[in-house]
Amino acid sequence: MAGILIFAETDAGAILPNFWEQVAAARTLAPQLGSVSVAALGWQIKTDEALRSGAEAVYVLEDERLTEPWPDAHLSALESLCHELHPAMIVMPRTTLGMEVAARLAFRLGGALAQDAMTLQLADDALTITRPVAGGAASATVRLNRAPWIVVPRSGAFTPAEPGAEASAKVVSVQPSISDAALKTRCVSRARQEGETISLERARVIISGGRGLDGPEPFQLLHRIADAIGGAVGASRPPCDSGWVPTSYQIGLTGKMVSPEVYIAVGISGATQHTTGCSSARTIVAINTDKDAPIFRMATYGVVGDWKEVLPAFHAALADRG
Amino acid sequence: MRIIVCIKQVFDPLTPVNALTIDSDRKKILGSAYTPPVINGYDEQALEAALRIKENWPGGECEIVALSLGERFKLDVMKKALAVGADELVLVDDAAFDTADSVFIARALAAAIHRLGGADLVLCGRQASDWDNAQAPLLLGEMLGWPCLTLARRVEVRNGRVEVERVLSDGSQVMESNLPAVVTVTSELGELRFPPARARLQVARRRPKEMTLKELNVEIGSPAAEVIDVSLLKVERECQYIGGANGAEAGRRLAETLIDAGLISPNGG
Ligand SMILES: Cc1cc2nc3c(=O)[nH]c(=O)nc-3n(C[C@H](O)[C@H](O)[C@H](O)COP(=O)(O)OP(=O)(O)OC[C@H]3O[C@@H](n4cnc5c(N)ncnc54)[C@H](O)[C@@H]3O)c2cc1C
Ligand SMILES: Nc1ncnc2c1ncn2[C@@H]1O[C@H](COP(=O)(O)O)[C@@H](O)[C@H]1O
Repeated sequence: MAGILIFAETDAGAILPNFWEQVAAARTLAPQLGSVSVAALGWQIKTDEALRSGAEAVYVLEDERLTEPWPDAHLSALESLCHELHPAMIVMPRTTLGMEVAARLAFRLGGALAQDAMTLQLADDALTITRPVAGGAASATVRLNRAPWIVVPRSGAFTPAEPGAEASAKVVSVQPSISDAALKTRCVSRARQEGETISLERARVIISGGRGLDGPEPFQLLHRIADAIGGAVGASRPPCDSGWVPTSYQIGLTGKMVSPEVYIAVGISGATQHTTGCSSARTIVAINTDKDAPIFRMATYGVVGDWKEVLPAFHAALADRG
Repeated sequence: MRIIVCIKQVFDPLTPVNALTIDSDRKKILGSAYTPPVINGYDEQALEAALRIKENWPGGECEIVALSLGERFKLDVMKKALAVGADELVLVDDAAFDTADSVFIARALAAAIHRLGGADLVLCGRQASDWDNAQAPLLLGEMLGWPCLTLARRVEVRNGRVEVERVLSDGSQVMESNLPAVVTVTSELGELRFPPARARLQVARRRPKEMTLKELNVEIGSPAAEVIDVSLLKVERECQYIGGANGAEAGRRLAETLIDAGLISPNGG
């Protein structure tokens, strides 16, 4: 076993942006583990960017069954590739598909899994990682006793690498091996949410609403404010579970991990499972009726008050100064 | 139709960090002595999914067994499964289950399911809130050789197949498989129903079925991934409170403060 393999997940042929964080994570151990290669799985894949990642080789596995995030199909293709390449470490994206395939792949390859790795350290033939646990309330140091090590870097933990000037990697086309027996599940249909105006992951300012908003309508005010300041709208879990906003709005452990300059939390109590997804924001602003809400313990600015009074005035003040 | 729902007793995930403690070996999080444990939230939702299937089952011949591996069970907490309508509660009590090793847990779950006579459907939560592993059900599927469908907000069983609508970060996907299968449930499915008062009284007299780790015949082996240290993450920032005669004034001042500090720009910049 040697070298590092990065699983590049694709959507509509394009490699997901997570890839550059995976490259950054892989590079921290490349001096010890040897060459980095990429396995891009999907259908009609645009490989140009991956070729500029500094990887030695980009294995391109194209199959129509790899169009959707179908765990069985991706797992089967990736497992066979690993049996050929014997990588010592496999770096997976922190996505729905990536996390699921990672756990099952670790089991099949007889290796060990590290979810949500913040740091990676290799010494005496063991990989040791740190990861947040208990919704971000604690940090655990985990030693991976068996190789290969399947690592899922935590979003935001590794500064994304930049594509290089040269497309230096060699392309290796591989016919993915996906046996019918491996496909125990079937995809029936797929629905996509309509495009968000500004993606949460890239927004400079995010204004999020929580259960305290008490319904879908107040999110319209959040949208007007976001439009005024060029930001995006997010939410804690309850508004998503209640259908006030689409699930794609959810920020936190089981939602999106964001790191805007400014994060404004309205009617959000500040449970660790939520704040673990926004704690890297440079400035956190909290608006909450409960002065003891935990969100104030991590906020830079806070207003103890009812959003019904605070937010309309906040919005009006923007217009006055605009 | 036989459904086994895997439920885990965990410390309350809403316990503030300041109230949590770590054990003396610095390898486990102990929760708080003042907050009772709970059934893992997603597992309650898995139970709700099972109850909905049972409700719509033709002839009502659908059995729900709640299964938990753990230690120091709080019976009044775990019996909630019976109060809401599970037919049986099976507890396997052993200190070995207080571990972050999902491979061991999945092996023990597989063995327990086998000993219970198997199932048509195993429902799990998407992840347990103590270690946030999100692995046991996936490994269980691998070990049993069953299909595994994850992150379901809707679970329907018909004609020997299970269909789920799974939540993706940018939408959803409908997937299906034959039975038997493992399915994990996410919070979008909805909250577990409230147990009727009468049922809560009735279950006080009922006993869970007990099994031992020994009966399961699984070895504890050395974990592939081993927790060697745990520390609490306490983040504290100094909050600058912005007030006013009323909420509206505070709101206006907040906007001005943020603009003046260059943090937001009123013209979308
Ligand atoms: C394993 C796991 C994963 C999870 N993943 C996530 C996740 O990814 N994202 C997430 O958000 N949560 C997640 N959760 C849930 C999390 O634990 C909390 O339950 C959730 O974040 C609470 O949302 P909230 O703050 O909106 O609601 P609440 O905790 O109910 O807080 C509502 C707040 O609104 C305030 N309020 C009420 N009325 C007003 C008003 N008129 N004006 C101003 N303030 C008002 C209240 O004082 C209160 O502080 C997860 C939980 C678990 C166990
Ligand atoms: N000790 C346990 N007893 C019963 N079910 C469990 C146990 N541990 C995990 N599970 C199930 O597996 C799911 C995922 O757990 P985990 O992989 O630990 O995050 C949980 O939501 C439960 O449904």
